Amino acid sequence: MIGRYFTYALISLVLVVVQTKLMRLLTVEGITPDILTIWVVFLALREGQLPASVWGFCIGLLFDLATGNFIGLSALSKTICGFFAGYFYSETKMLQTLASYRFLMVVLFASVIQNTVYFIIYAQGSEIGFLRAIFQVGLATAFYTTTWTLLPMFAFTRRSMR
Amino acid sequence: MHRFLGLLGLFKEYLVLTVLIVISLVLLSLNDNNQVRAIRSTAVGFVGFMQNALAIIPNVVELKKENEVLRQLNVNLSNEVSLLREARLENLRLREIAGLKEHSSFKLTAGNVIGKSLLLLRNTITLDIGERDGIKADMPVISETGLVGKVIATSEHYSIAQLMQNKDFRASAKIQRTRVDGIIAWGGGDVLRLKNVSKTEDVKAGDIVITSEYSSVFPREIKIGLVSKIEEKPGSLFKEVEVTPSVDFASLEQVFVVTSAPDPERTEIEKKVARTK
Repeated sequence: MIGRYFTYALISLVLVVVQTKLMRLLTVEGITPDILTIWVVFLALREGQLPASVWGFCIGLLFDLATGNFIGLSALSKTICGFFAGYFYSETKMLQTLASYRFLMVVLFASVIQNTVYFIIYAQGSEIGFLRAIFQVGLATAFYTTTWTLLPMFAFTRRSMR
Repeated sequence: MHRFLGLLGLFKEYLVLTVLIVISLVLLSLNDNNQVRAIRSTAVGFVGFMQNALAIIPNVVELKKENEVLRQLNVNLSNEVSLLREARLENLRLREIAGLKEHSSFKLTAGNVIGKSLLLLRNTITLDIGERDGIKADMPVISETGLVGKVIATSEHYSIAQLMQNKDFRASAKIQRTRVDGIIAWGGGDVLRLKNVSKTEDVKAGDIVITSEYSSVFPREIKIGLVSKIEEKPGSLFKEVEVTPSVDFASLEQVFVVTSAPDPERTEIEKKVARTK
C-alpha cells in the first residue's frame, strides 16, 4: 500500500510538472486541459472518497506552490473534486468505470464542480463576473479536459479487453 | 467514547473534507490579492448586515450593562452640569465685582467672606484679608450692590467687619433724591432705620438712601438701600423711615474693603476740634 501511494505521489509530481510546463502547448483559445483533474478522478474511482479528497488537496497544493499564485485555491477546488468524484467509487466495478464513458462523465461532473468552486473565488474582485467565468472558462475547461480523458479511457478499455 | 469514535468513523469522509477545506481557506486567507481583499470586504459586509439584522433582538445582559454605564455617565454629567452652573454663577458674581472695582474711584481690596457671626444684636463677618493686605479698623466694607459695614478688628491675615445689621453700627446717610440727611442704623430684623429725619422733610417710599459726605469713615454716595416704609408717630418730631438694605447679607460671599484713607487733613482737624471740646 505504501509502495502504491509512493507511486501515486511520484506520478502526481510528474503530472504537476507536466501541467505547469507542457500543457500550455495544448491550449486552445485560452483553454488548457487539466490533467490533474483527470488524475484526481482516477484516484477517486480507484481508491475511494476519503483518499481522493486527501490526494486532491495534496496535488492542488503542490500545483499552487509550483505556480506560485493564489496558494490554496487549487487545493480547495481539487479537494472538492476528489470528494465528489469519490461518490462514483465502486470497488467491484472499478475497471468497468475507468474503461467506459462513465469515466468521462465523472471527469466532466467533477471538473464542473471543481471549476465552479475555483471561479467563484477567482472571479471575486475582478472585472469578469463569476457566472461568465464559470460558463465561459469553467465549462470549456471541463469539456476540453473530458476530451483528453478519452486517452486514459481507451487505455483502460484495451486493458479490460485482455 | 467508543460510540463517539464509531460516529466519527461513520462520517470520516465529511470530517476529513471539512478539515481540508478549512486548511485550504486558511491558506487562501494568507494571500494578499484582489480576490482575497474582495472576499474579505464581502465577508465584513455580510457580518455587518447580520449584526444589523440581529441587533433588533434585545440582548438583556448587554442592555443591563449599557444601562449601568449610561446611569454612571448620567451621574457624572449631572455633577458636571452642577459644577458648570456653579462656575457660571460665580463668574457672573465675579464679573459684577470686577466691574465695581474697575468703575470705583476708591482703592479697593477684594476679600472672601469666610465666616459669619449672626448673633442677635451684633452681626459680623470674617474676611480672609488682614493687615498684610493693608486692612485697618474703621475701613468701610462694600459689595457690588452697596454698603456692607466696616472693619472693626484685624489680624495679619484676617479681619472682622461689623455689618449694618449690628446694633452698634451708625453712618451718616441721605436721601439721594431730596438730599435729606439722617443717621442710618439697624432697625432690627432685616431692615435699617434712617433716624433724625424731620417730619417736614420730603421722603417717599422707594427713595434711594446713600452714604453722606458728612461721614468721616464712609465714602460718599455709596448705596445703602431703599426707603420701604415711612411712619409719623404723634408726639415725635421725626419720621420713622424704614430702609431695606440693598445688600443681601445672607448670601454675601465676596466683598471689598475700601483701603484708601479718608482725607487726613479733615480727619486731623475733626479730631482736634473734638479734643478741645
